[in-house]
Amino acid sequence: MFSKKSLSAWTVIALTAGLLAACGNSGTDSAKPASAGSAGSSAEAGKHVSFLYNFSTDSLDPHVDSSYVPLRAGITETLVRLDEDNLTVAPWLAESWDSEDGRHWTIDLRDDVTFQNGKPMTGDAVKASLERALEESPSIQNALKIQSIEAEGDKLEITTTQPFPEFASELVHPNTAIIDVSESDIVNKPVGTGPFKLKAFTPGSKLELDRYDGYWNGASPLDSVTFAFNEDANARSLALKSGQVDIVYRPEVESLESLKAIDGMTVESTSTFRVHQLTMNMQRAPIQDPNVRRALDALIDRQGIVDTILLGYGEPAIGPFLPSLPFAPKYEHAAADSGPEAAVKHLEAAGYKPENGVMTKDGSPLKLTLLTYSSRADLPLIAQVFQSDAKKIGIEVEIRQIDTPEEYMASNRDWDIATYSNLTAPRGDAGYYLNATYHPTGSLNFSGSEDPKLTAIIDELNRTVAPEKRAKLAEQAANYVHDNVLNAFVLHPATIVAYNGKKVKNWVTTRSEYYMITNKLDVM
Amino acid sequence: MFRILLRKFSEVFLFLLFIMFVSFLFIRLAPGDPVLTILNVEELSVSQEQVEAMREEMGFNDPLFVQFGKWLLDFVRLDFGVSYSTGQPVMATLLRALPATAELTAGALLVMLLVSVPLGSLSALYRGRWIDSLSRMLAIVGAAVPSFWLGLILIDLLGVRFAHLPTMGRDGFLSLILPSLTLGLAISSVYVRLLRSSLLDSLSQEFVRSARARGLSEARIFWLHALRHSLPPVITVFGVSLGSLIGGVVVIEVLFAYPGIGKLVVDAIRQRDYPLIQGYILIMAIVVFVVNALVDLSYRYLNPEMQLKEKEAAR
Repeated sequence: MFSKKSLSAWTVIALTAGLLAACGNSGTDSAKPASAGSAGSSAEAGKHVSFLYNFSTDSLDPHVDSSYVPLRAGITETLVRLDEDNLTVAPWLAESWDSEDGRHWTIDLRDDVTFQNGKPMTGDAVKASLERALEESPSIQNALKIQSIEAEGDKLEITTTQPFPEFASELVHPNTAIIDVSESDIVNKPVGTGPFKLKAFTPGSKLELDRYDGYWNGASPLDSVTFAFNEDANARSLALKSGQVDIVYRPEVESLESLKAIDGMTVESTSTFRVHQLTMNMQRAPIQDPNVRRALDALIDRQGIVDTILLGYGEPAIGPFLPSLPFAPKYEHAAADSGPEAAVKHLEAAGYKPENGVMTKDGSPLKLTLLTYSSRADLPLIAQVFQSDAKKIGIEVEIRQIDTPEEYMASNRDWDIATYSNLTAPRGDAGYYLNATYHPTGSLNFSGSEDPKLTAIIDELNRTVAPEKRAKLAEQAANYVHDNVLNAFVLHPATIVAYNGKKVKNWVTTRSEYYMITNKLDVM
Repeated sequence: MFRILLRKFSEVFLFLLFIMFVSFLFIRLAPGDPVLTILNVEELSVSQEQVEAMREEMGFNDPLFVQFGKWLLDFVRLDFGVSYSTGQPVMATLLRALPATAELTAGALLVMLLVSVPLGSLSALYRGRWIDSLSRMLAIVGAAVPSFWLGLILIDLLGVRFAHLPTMGRDGFLSLILPSLTLGLAISSVYVRLLRSSLLDSLSQEFVRSARARGLSEARIFWLHALRHSLPPVITVFGVSLGSLIGGVVVIEVLFAYPGIGKLVVDAIRQRDYPLIQGYILIMAIVVFVVNALVDLSYRYLNPEMQLKEKEAAR
């Protein structure tokens, strides 16, 4: 009924429509060249950097937002910061701090700091900001344990509810940032003391930032920064390739080779304070034997796992703390004792013998249940590697996938080992990790570890104020954990950042992952 | 008429309550604990007593029906609570993100129409010819390709290689193109085939023959009679599949960092932000109801027979 002619006519119409669409595209193309480099609208005149981050947030409340974007974007700052070179706590908005007993703290503030609305940062302003943080965030309230704050000029007198030596290092936490609380819209437009002030915020999408000329530590050479979010790693890599952004946080690992092949692209990585570990369930009979734990520890092919699963972007771990931390032990005696032969030797010391290729003790074979979960993609793969290595020496490992490790491990004891990932010294102090993981009252003590000797060391740490003494005690605790293999540590994963090296200058990939947009960041 | 409306509304209200109750149960029975997120145990020192105290304070230790009762009381007062993670009112947060999703859905529907109406019509009109085979092939490929993968391919082609369309964010019309295209193409494969078979059915009907006998032009027969008659089944499927369309939006919003309601709920689920999830389910249930009501209404317009039958029944 319709002729052949009209089919061709239809085809022509369709093709024309397609061409028109394509013209539309190329029109945009010329209107907005890739080199303008902006994650969206403002390709303004002047020096501009576009940064793409791997989490998104709907609130910029500096005291509540758990993506810490206000601090990372250079809007807010904390009283003290982490010195990334020495991994010690260093002055920032506070010039110095001191406490004799770990309970009464005196903090001297800098006198040259102003908020981005021009108001000076006084002791009273800092007090008001800290009080808001305590009120708005239950986690900060728990972490800081503050009883009272008194402000006088540029001096703060803070009393904690109990002797709390790591108080100063807890002030590194981004949710303790100092803001002007008299501002009306803190959730969408916080006013801090950092080198960049917020111009516009699109929840879940991006921040537009302008330089703050009155910044106390020297104004930034950049005029503006775009801080955008994208939670898909592939899309992040592609955004860098297209030139829409200049710096990408955690690009897709598989895309790194193709990124490196682009002229001028720089890929950087640095180990973080995180450790992937095998948590041992001390309430299970086989695991209670230290020789079995030593065997499991010896069985982990750390370098192989780093090379194959993380494609080299990580560092094999011996203990929980990153080796560059001042209190990380040296473990000089540790290196030789690994591999399947060493594992078999430890098992034999524990009374196991191979029978028909299966490790057996008193007639019962060594069978272990290994928990893993998928929200950290590396962990299930590590579990598989471990399972296959264990099988080679006659240990049967059953892998069980769970959803939420904290909840499952806390309320179920039907497992022997578990892959888990911990931040071990996020603020340059060992107190958090040791208390949470090894103290009988800790919220992450999934091993059920109740070792009186170790608890005594941690308790002493909780009473000790002097940093050198604390470092010694932390080292002692780490050595104890290692000697008794209370947990086995696999690796420290690395943070990867890729950026356009022809444009971006002075980017620093930090281990704490707290400091990203700084007053030093510049373009060529 | 007023009584019919009243009955309809109370039905809808009861059904909404039922949906909310079931989802309330599911969300709370699923593993995960918002207290651990709220206290940030990943990074801050917390003791087991503090976790337990918080759980008690937030009422998570109450029996489920007590928790639902509390929620229901607030719901009746139109208080949907505040988000656990941001402390902001849930409804305000969701309604702020809703326009972005509405925009994206509209864009996707437009793409879907631009693809499926011409392709569907042509493959019905030229049944068995190359255009029909092409549309069949596209439908199979379209059904097989996951939308996130299609999105990545489109980003690579139109964002990186051949054009420089924005690949993320929501900054005016241009940033809408790639996500709408991805979602629109992903859903159009179904409608191409559906429209084709529905059209073939209409074209063989009596009224087409009689129209032809009256000497109407082929174009007029097609546009005014056959196409109109073919739309009800297509629209029905659309109304029913709206839920999966919204599901598709979630994936696309994450991929394109499009700040819509889907992305919001993904984050909410990850953080076990119960009030936000619950608010999302409520809004989506209402949206689905409204769309289905509109679908019902559209039948009356598209199919005059129905109006006739109603009149006859009324007599």
